[in-house]
Amino acid sequence: MGDSGSGVNVVAVLMRRRIPQIVCGLFGLVTFLCYFSDHPVARDIYLTVTLDYWQIIFAFSLIVGAISYVRVNLRGVERGVDRPYRIVSLAGVFLMPVLAAVWGIKGGSPFMWVFENVQVPMQATVFSLLAFFVASASYRGFRARSLQAAILLGAALLMLVSRSAIGDLLWSQIPEAAEWVRNTPAMSARRAILIGIGLGSLTTSVRVLVGIERTWLGGDK
Amino acid sequence: MSRLEARHWVFLGLFLVVLVSMVLQVDLGVTVSDDSRRMHDYLESLPPGSTLLMSFDLEASSLPEMRPLALAIIRHAVSRGHRIVGVALLAEGTGIGYRLLEQVGREYGKVYGEDYVFLGFKPQYIAAMLSMGESIKQTFPEDYLGRPYDSLPVLRRITNYAQIDGVISLADGSLTTHWIEYAGNQYGVRVSAAVAAAMVTTYDPYLASGQLHAMIGGLRGAAEYEQLIHRGGSGLRGMLAQTTSHVYVIVMILIGNVAFFLGMRKRRAG
Repeated sequence: MGDSGSGVNVVAVLMRRRIPQIVCGLFGLVTFLCYFSDHPVARDIYLTVTLDYWQIIFAFSLIVGAISYVRVNLRGVERGVDRPYRIVSLAGVFLMPVLAAVWGIKGGSPFMWVFENVQVPMQATVFSLLAFFVASASYRGFRARSLQAAILLGAALLMLVSRSAIGDLLWSQIPEAAEWVRNTPAMSARRAILIGIGLGSLTTSVRVLVGIERTWLGGDK
Repeated sequence: MSRLEARHWVFLGLFLVVLVSMVLQVDLGVTVSDDSRRMHDYLESLPPGSTLLMSFDLEASSLPEMRPLALAIIRHAVSRGHRIVGVALLAEGTGIGYRLLEQVGREYGKVYGEDYVFLGFKPQYIAAMLSMGESIKQTFPEDYLGRPYDSLPVLRRITNYAQIDGVISLADGSLTTHWIEYAGNQYGVRVSAAVAAAMVTTYDPYLASGQLHAMIGGLRGAAEYEQLIHRGGSGLRGMLAQTTSHVYVIVMILIGNVAFFLGMRKRRAG
């Protein structure tokens, strides 16, 4: 009994942790090395990995996402939580693939008609609402509580003025002052952040490749 | 006045400001920035008949800002006699890109398939960028309308980026970064961009380092570009709404600060 239990454990560890780690490490290493090589074989491998396998993995991730979305919303409909919205949402999820499968997704198809006449206006409307929240938030939250906050506020006001037509009318140097803010302090900060992100990504990638980072496998459970 | 009511007044005020500005339709002139002039000079410097790959990396939500930008760039390129190969690496850019190219094509009497073409959408943008570097035909065997690649005269001599004179990414997000990293750095194609105002600072370091050749941004960028090409559009028309709404936000910030300091003084006195 104990033997069969430990056997199951070994298989479970192999399937859940070791094999994904080996596959990940191997593919990561091969892709990394092939990126720097101009050899035809290396290029073929690189393109096969990036073009074919990537697309296949993406397709499967879409299936997982779609199933999860449908399950969550069906459960919501059963429980009566936001039922009308969830029904409309599910109708959209089922309708669009049907339209695409029957009439295609090319220009002028029913699929594109729904996209252009339903999704585009809805998204533009939702995004436009952001302007109202920005106005409200600026009134309530953008306050010079400290020196740092005052500097931030000053820079924000300068950018707001420079991105409208009054900047030019008020003083011809305003657009140049805004350019200086963009090109000197803002860019320095941006570069520092980008370098930090780059180093962080590099470190995490190496940790994943050598198997130290295991959170993507569900942690150490 | 409760907080909720105050917020409603702020919303109503902004709505009225934008509504009146849009109704008035006053074209405000703007000073042309170096960034816009650089993009303009770049398209001017290309010999007529050059092929530009325009990538519609945008979503419907940013259309009010991105549409004027895209139209200004496409109009300039088409008026200079450049040929355009359109693609979309975000699904929502597909219908948008086709519509915009069709609109400008009609305006200038250009023929689809000969002067411009739209190849449609390809998922997984990094894979698509790398794939186009090897073979555009393999990546897009047919165009958006389902016509085979080889049947389109504009694509006849185009195999990969080597025959493309430049990529222009019309983006409201971070996809331009991938164009720079994969198409620009790996295949040596010249990458430029027209981006949403919120993304301008993201690309400033790339512009300064020369990895991004030229960039225009936001509604103001569109207005500046429309001035440069002497063709008014929704960029210049929208500048009044943008200006008044910015002034409105500035006034709100000032009122909020005055109220904050008065409240602080009262609390100290009490």
